[in-house]
Amino acid sequence: MEQESFKSKFEKFHDKYYKLLLIIPLIILILSFFYISKVYSQTGDVIYKDVSLSGGTAITLNGDVDIVKLEKSLSQNFSGISLTTLTDISTRKPTAVIIQLRATVEELKPEIEKILGYKLDDKNSSVEFSGPSLGNDFYKQLLIALTLSFILMSIVIFVLFRTFVPSIAVIFSAFSDIVMPLALIDYFGIRISAAGIAAFLMLVGYSVDTDILLTTRVLKTKEGSLNHRIFGSFKTGMFMTTTALVAVLPAFLLLTSLPDSFRQIFIILSLGLLADILNTWLTNVSVIKWYCKVKNIQ
Amino acid sequence: MVLQGEKHTMKLGFKIWVLVFTLLFAFLAIAPWKIFNSGVLISSVTSNSTAFEQGLRPNQIIKFIDGEKVSNLADYTKIISSKFTSNQTLKTTIQTKDSEFILFSNKAPEITVSELPTTNIKTGLDLSGGARALVKAKNIELSSSQLSDLISITENRFNTYGIADVRVISVKDLSGKNYMEISIAGATPKDLQELVSKQGKFEAKIGNETVFIGGEKDITAVCRNDASCARIEICDTTEGGYYCKFSFSITLSQQAAENHANITKDLEINSTAQGNYLSKKIDLYLDDNLVDSLLIGEDLKGTVTTQISISGSGQGTTQVEAYDAAKESMKKLQTILLTGSLPFQLEIVKLDTISPNLGKEFLKNIILLALFVFVVISIILFAKYRNIKITLAVILTMFSEAFVTLGIAALIKWNLDAPSIAGIIAGMGTGVNDQIVILDESVSNLNLGIKERIKRALFIILGAFFTIFAAMLPLFWAGAGMLKGFALTTLIGVSVGILITRPAFAEIIKRIGE
Repeated sequence: MEQESFKSKFEKFHDKYYKLLLIIPLIILILSFFYISKVYSQTGDVIYKDVSLSGGTAITLNGDVDIVKLEKSLSQNFSGISLTTLTDISTRKPTAVIIQLRATVEELKPEIEKILGYKLDDKNSSVEFSGPSLGNDFYKQLLIALTLSFILMSIVIFVLFRTFVPSIAVIFSAFSDIVMPLALIDYFGIRISAAGIAAFLMLVGYSVDTDILLTTRVLKTKEGSLNHRIFGSFKTGMFMTTTALVAVLPAFLLLTSLPDSFRQIFIILSLGLLADILNTWLTNVSVIKWYCKVKNIQ
Repeated sequence: MVLQGEKHTMKLGFKIWVLVFTLLFAFLAIAPWKIFNSGVLISSVTSNSTAFEQGLRPNQIIKFIDGEKVSNLADYTKIISSKFTSNQTLKTTIQTKDSEFILFSNKAPEITVSELPTTNIKTGLDLSGGARALVKAKNIELSSSQLSDLISITENRFNTYGIADVRVISVKDLSGKNYMEISIAGATPKDLQELVSKQGKFEAKIGNETVFIGGEKDITAVCRNDASCARIEICDTTEGGYYCKFSFSITLSQQAAENHANITKDLEINSTAQGNYLSKKIDLYLDDNLVDSLLIGEDLKGTVTTQISISGSGQGTTQVEAYDAAKESMKKLQTILLTGSLPFQLEIVKLDTISPNLGKEFLKNIILLALFVFVVISIILFAKYRNIKITLAVILTMFSEAFVTLGIAALIKWNLDAPSIAGIIAGMGTGVNDQIVILDESVSNLNLGIKERIKRALFIILGAFFTIFAAMLPLFWAGAGMLKGFALTTLIGVSVGILITRPAFAEIIKRIGE
């Protein structure tokens, strides 16, 4: 009984304020834009690029390496060094260190060998080098791919629903699902690799699942009241997002033994899914409810 | 009535049977029983070696050596290294899967071997270790036909050099630029870099006149792996270290030999304490750098000779280092003389060398992660549905999808790299989402028929499928295909889902519901 009254109270609240609720995601979106443009004005790019996109060398040293000494010695000759320690999943012991910076292998390798006091070979290290022009090419192409991916997704949504406002609501929600995580990634100062941008493409396709669920339940079925259908899809959608988060979040948090490029996929998907909760259940719900009220869909 | 009922049951079974057959097919494609195979795989055989002459070839599987069983790489190394300790010529009997070879030699068979693959799943360089380079021509944009020429010459150069396990492919990126991608299993980045970054334009000049150049037009044969005509001659100390000199003979074509005669016939003869030589030396250039200058004996003046000796040197801080360096340079020069120069000057735009140890660690962690995710998802599914059958159905479907994706990857010989594995995980994620939709649709609105409810679930699932398909498609081309694996496995995963596992899952749920 008590639960029922809470539900009906919440329904009344939502009926009254759903348009106002739109302001929350909008403010977050604007703040995100603000932060991204700040990064853009500082660096000339909307993200911090790692060496696979900016050009440079990444050297992975296997084993437990004195990271403090390495950083101190390297910083005398190089700037913009990024160091990451990988740790074993079960023992939590360091298994490798990744050094990334904008230099050629020939410049960096002898320095590291000098600091460590041994030669680097394929048993104790991995070396990845990307030329600056190639990195730039990759970056541009991945941005084009991201745009293309977004356009293709939008077309699919329009074909699926064939109505303007609900389709735009889904697309707008997907757009926010990309912008918000991007701002957070920038805020954390994470350097994005090519794989990271691929994760954003994935997000384009992945995050609209719940929006499609909501729109289908609301527009394509007639059982129950509008609020009932929204609430039903909310329950299903939240469970979907939770299971997805349960799969990707541990991948990021626990797998400190993975190369960054791989972990990035998971952190971006996690942030995207979190943003999707907001964008589906505040933005999209409010727009579609508004649309239904105007069109008199019960 | 009874007939109709039977028909109904058969129809119910069909989609599940499709899943069962697909799983069986994936099992056959992956061939996990290969884990029980024993032996070692020959991955390359040095050409012109004793092993080669006796008929050993790549891809043969060695089972026994001298009657001793060879189960793995460690066995092979143990037998061979304990056998060839002195310079004595020994008899070695190598038994492969279907034949026997007998070698007489004073050194280990000139073959490289590797562990037998345990399944048909191939892992990418970032997991198995190796070197990979993305190469483009300096200053010009290559057309597709130019690129395919370049690829065949490059392949030839690697094979001549003795690297058999090399894969050279062309990649095109979104903006239409052509690249050549070279991958070598097992890390040999130095060889890769040197064999590619040098165009390998070899010229032998007397004064300003070219006598002959590298390649089969002027050079018909190069002596290799034969100590009587290709060897390290002397080693000596030099400023701050050692140097070793190598020499090997080559056979010139008639045309090149006549060239030589024409140019030398007008040269004067200088007498020195060491003997009489022609007034000009023959200078050997590699990519416009002088590698060596050789004196020409007086007896060669104006004669049409097809046998020429080529020499050079290697340096090092110790004598062993210098010896190895000389051997290396000799091998490279021989390769270049045989294969000729590359048609373009190349530039390595990306070079990755991955330690095999890193990949092992990675795989171990991925498997642990997968188990963890399976367990956690099972728990929350059970918490929500309170039904062991449903939970099992979801987990089994999720597992089937990943397994079938792996099966398809094995079938098309796709090299699974780290992004590909991320794609499989992502595919499993969308799979679970879809199954939740089916479950929730089938338990909600019970006044509607189950068929109707599942049909609606399928609409949502199809929508999700097409959006992810559309979203991942551009990745096939962007970034010179480096992230193709991510797109491919995700797409295989979701396609398997929509075509096979999802319908089967819906059937299973229908049955559980009924």
